[in-house]
Amino acid sequence: MAGITDLGVGIGWRSEIDLTVERLPGVDFVEVVAENLHIGHLPESVTLLLERGIPVLPHAVSLSLGGADPVDLNRVEHLGKIAEAVGAPMVSDHVCFVRAGGLDSGHLMPVPRTKDALDVLVANVRLAQQNLPVPLALENVAALLEWPDGELTEGQFLAELVERTDCWLLVDVANLYANARNIGTDPERFLDEIPLERLAYVHVAGGEQHGDVYHDTHAHAVLPEVLGVLDELCSRVTPPGVLLERDDNYPSDTEIASELAAIRAVVDKRRG
Amino acid sequence: MIGSNDLSAARERLAKQQEALLIALLAKGPVPAGFDEQRFDVERRALLSKRRGIVRMLGPAVADELGDRFRPLFDAYAVENPRRAGSRAREDAASFAEWCRAAGELSVKRKARWKFWQSN
Repeated sequence: MAGITDLGVGIGWRSEIDLTVERLPGVDFVEVVAENLHIGHLPESVTLLLERGIPVLPHAVSLSLGGADPVDLNRVEHLGKIAEAVGAPMVSDHVCFVRAGGLDSGHLMPVPRTKDALDVLVANVRLAQQNLPVPLALENVAALLEWPDGELTEGQFLAELVERTDCWLLVDVANLYANARNIGTDPERFLDEIPLERLAYVHVAGGEQHGDVYHDTHAHAVLPEVLGVLDELCSRVTPPGVLLERDDNYPSDTEIASELAAIRAVVDKRRG
Repeated sequence: MIGSNDLSAARERLAKQQEALLIALLAKGPVPAGFDEQRFDVERRALLSKRRGIVRMLGPAVADELGDRFRPLFDAYAVENPRRAGSRAREDAASFAEWCRAAGELSVKRKARWKFWQSN
């Protein structure tokens, strides 16, 4: 398929801010966390947004596509059913693992950037794609630690993944910023190495610096530096969409609206 | 395209690496070779803090009753009881409360009052 074009500027729909999302000006699309929704019981607020013609994109956090085990097809099926229920053009999850050895990490863990990990990820992504009704986009995660013996940069790893699976990319510029601060990833090199023509859309989120560690909290304001990475991305390609993620410590509607406006300003400036 | 035997072998090698990482991060296993120990500790604390925050949110009454003891008790519980794959956050919160009661740190659960839909 040709990519999804012109999603515009969006926000992650969360039940805690459902009314805010409904009444905010300038929300062109939303994302829902697939694991939080149930087939046949869509939240009223999501139904209302759909009736207004707002695209709703399911975003998953539990497929563990980078995990050593074959992907859990029950989880893939749930994601696919949510996509059908909201008429989504695309779904997404992350390049990460969350389960191993019978344990659940509770967070999105980076995978080693080795041939083994890439082969396993590719196999899992293909299996997921075969069982999904719409295209799959995969997101770069924020890592606090780096696996030893990486054979590829993060950009090269994602480029290989796209080459071998034809998946789309969901680029999180806050995660890129976090990795630059915490593990020394070079955001410009990352953007040079990934196939930008496979960019589905972009995530932006806030975080907080604690000592020498930047935490991608989704519970604080978006830093100007993160918008700087967005600007860098927009200098290379017009992103089909940009979405703000806020998951906790919700600010006023006014503050959320101004963050959305700041995002739109960066995109529009580069669009010319 | 890689063969299925190669893929199975890759899965096995990756499983060992990922398992060792999670045991080290969640259950105080030894830090696998090659990782930066300081960064490892940062990640360990970040995962613990996220899990603790979720349990606090899901069980505010337990957190309130424990007060200042909540954090050290939760951290001790968490290392002893890493979250199992497939378990739910609510089960984690319930199991923490149970663990505290068994340790005599929390008052014994009051008998649940009849909910209106159960009463006749």
